[in-house]
Amino acid sequence: MALIDLPDFAGTLLDEFAARRTHRVDTPVIQPAAPFLDMAGEDLRRRIFLTESETGESFCLRPEFTIPVCLRHIETATGTPKRYAYLGQVFRQRREGGHEFYQAGIEDLGDPDLAAADARIVADALGCLARILPGRSLTVTIGDQAVFEAVVAALGLPAGWQKRLVRAFGQQEVLDAMIARLARPAPMAGLPAEVEALLQAGDEAGLIAHVEAEMARTGTLTNASRAPQEIVRRLKEKRQLADASLDKAKLDALKEFLSLNVSLRYAPGVLADFARAAGLPLDGAIAGFDARVAAFANAGAPLADITWRAAFGRPLDYYTGLVFEVTERGQHKVLAGGGRFDRMMTLLGAPDHIPAVGFALWLDRIAAALSPAGERTAP
Amino acid sequence: MTLTIALPSKGRIKEAAAEIFDRAGLPLVSVGNDRSYRGRIDGLDGVEIAYLSASEIARELAAGTVDFGVTGEDLVREDMSEVDARVEFCARLGFGGADVVVAVPEIWLDVETMADLGDVAADFRARHGRRLAIATKYWRLTQQFFSGSHGIQLYRIVESLGATEGAPAAGQADIIVDITSTGSTLKANHLKVLADGVILKSEACLVRARKAAHQGDERVEEIVRRVRGAL
Repeated sequence: MALIDLPDFAGTLLDEFAARRTHRVDTPVIQPAAPFLDMAGEDLRRRIFLTESETGESFCLRPEFTIPVCLRHIETATGTPKRYAYLGQVFRQRREGGHEFYQAGIEDLGDPDLAAADARIVADALGCLARILPGRSLTVTIGDQAVFEAVVAALGLPAGWQKRLVRAFGQQEVLDAMIARLARPAPMAGLPAEVEALLQAGDEAGLIAHVEAEMARTGTLTNASRAPQEIVRRLKEKRQLADASLDKAKLDALKEFLSLNVSLRYAPGVLADFARAAGLPLDGAIAGFDARVAAFANAGAPLADITWRAAFGRPLDYYTGLVFEVTERGQHKVLAGGGRFDRMMTLLGAPDHIPAVGFALWLDRIAAALSPAGERTAP
Repeated sequence: MTLTIALPSKGRIKEAAAEIFDRAGLPLVSVGNDRSYRGRIDGLDGVEIAYLSASEIARELAAGTVDFGVTGEDLVREDMSEVDARVEFCARLGFGGADVVVAVPEIWLDVETMADLGDVAADFRARHGRRLAIATKYWRLTQQFFSGSHGIQLYRIVESLGATEGAPAAGQADIIVDITSTGSTLKANHLKVLADGVILKSEACLVRARKAAHQGDERVEEIVRRVRGAL
């Protein structure tokens, strides 16, 4: 069964992976579910196939490869840098298309030269697609959370607001709501009088004592969930957040930044112009961006086919920098998607920080793009 | 074709449904004895009543095995995806009212809104080595509200099969999503509802499974019209 519906180009793709000096790995189809739910959130639960062992442990059918490949890397402790490749079935509940389909990709772990690794992984994705879809015109959209973080930091907002905005990156509606809120302060009210007085007096010890006493009175465990210190610290931070706002010029700058959408060739200039016009100190981010563009050029990635969209991001806390998608020109189906996930390895239990970047190829969509009529002309 | 109306099989909600059908001129008659789980409507042929539990009614509506059901909106919305494409909420019946809410420990002085909760959830793993845990039996409503409406992705749901309001005190979860009518149970357990934490204002509804066969069936329109007229 598996051998029959393996895409015809699987062998070619594996050759290409090998030529790109990757190490092919396989992982079990049945995986512990917890790492996927922890990383991707509860949303994933309805999109994967879950089951339970006799002892109550949750397992799922492999919904993707990145987490299993990373877990395997941590378990085998073979050191970095490592370039892994995979090709195999994944299982997801989907509204359209089958529930089981093939995915392939590369995970590039441990290269400390982030710009070079970013450029190499995009070149890898484009190279693999060009090998299977020769002569097709491909376009890449990239986004970069690091640039957004720099813009947000330059606006001079309290740290809590910066974190909020960064967390919402990639979710336009949530960002819009935050931008609307930032137009004016939203004073915080409704605290019990005793707490309000302690807060205004800046009496942190008094506040903690108050929270501890209340917890004792109501029989709340102080160690099971949020501790009194944590509640008090955030209460103080929240007062700062409530008082924060941005003037119109800065709000407009933030909105303008999020609307930037230009060819990578012009992106450094556009970003520099934006920083100058908005009066924001973005020198570090611009330098990093320039380095990335140079690295792309060095890696042989065609800058003219790459578009930078400032608002493009993924709302998961382990994505830290580059994200990208490859489509055929004029088509909307994503053939390859990837990004940098530097925070994932330590979240999964790696003892050391391991920079990581990778991509996955949607083999069923690539197969559809290969078939002469079919899906290609359909809207 | 026989039309099946599923009504609650017990409790206050059963009586309240019977009263409305009575007022609507659709008097319910038991088949066999009073304890029977089958019934019919006096004077309306080809319609049968099936007495089921409220959660079964939601499930049967989702499966399309009944034509109408009277049950809580919360159960219907929890039990099926794309709910508005699959069923029609024909009438809100004015009883069985309860809100599905997000409630956190009262002592979380810094958490009054979903935005506050988003901040707490984002930092939770770094502080506690695990995601924020939510006890609920409303998996779907919780996901839609947290992820869809408020952009909060990072939390874990802990399934609760009863006495959800006790989960935070017992250390099983940090917060809850549960149903409340007066709020007194929440208060007794030192929980508070977030200012924008009402996920759904639920009440008993007359719900129709959207079926092609209902097109042009006068009995279907008649039942809906009469129930609406009785409110």
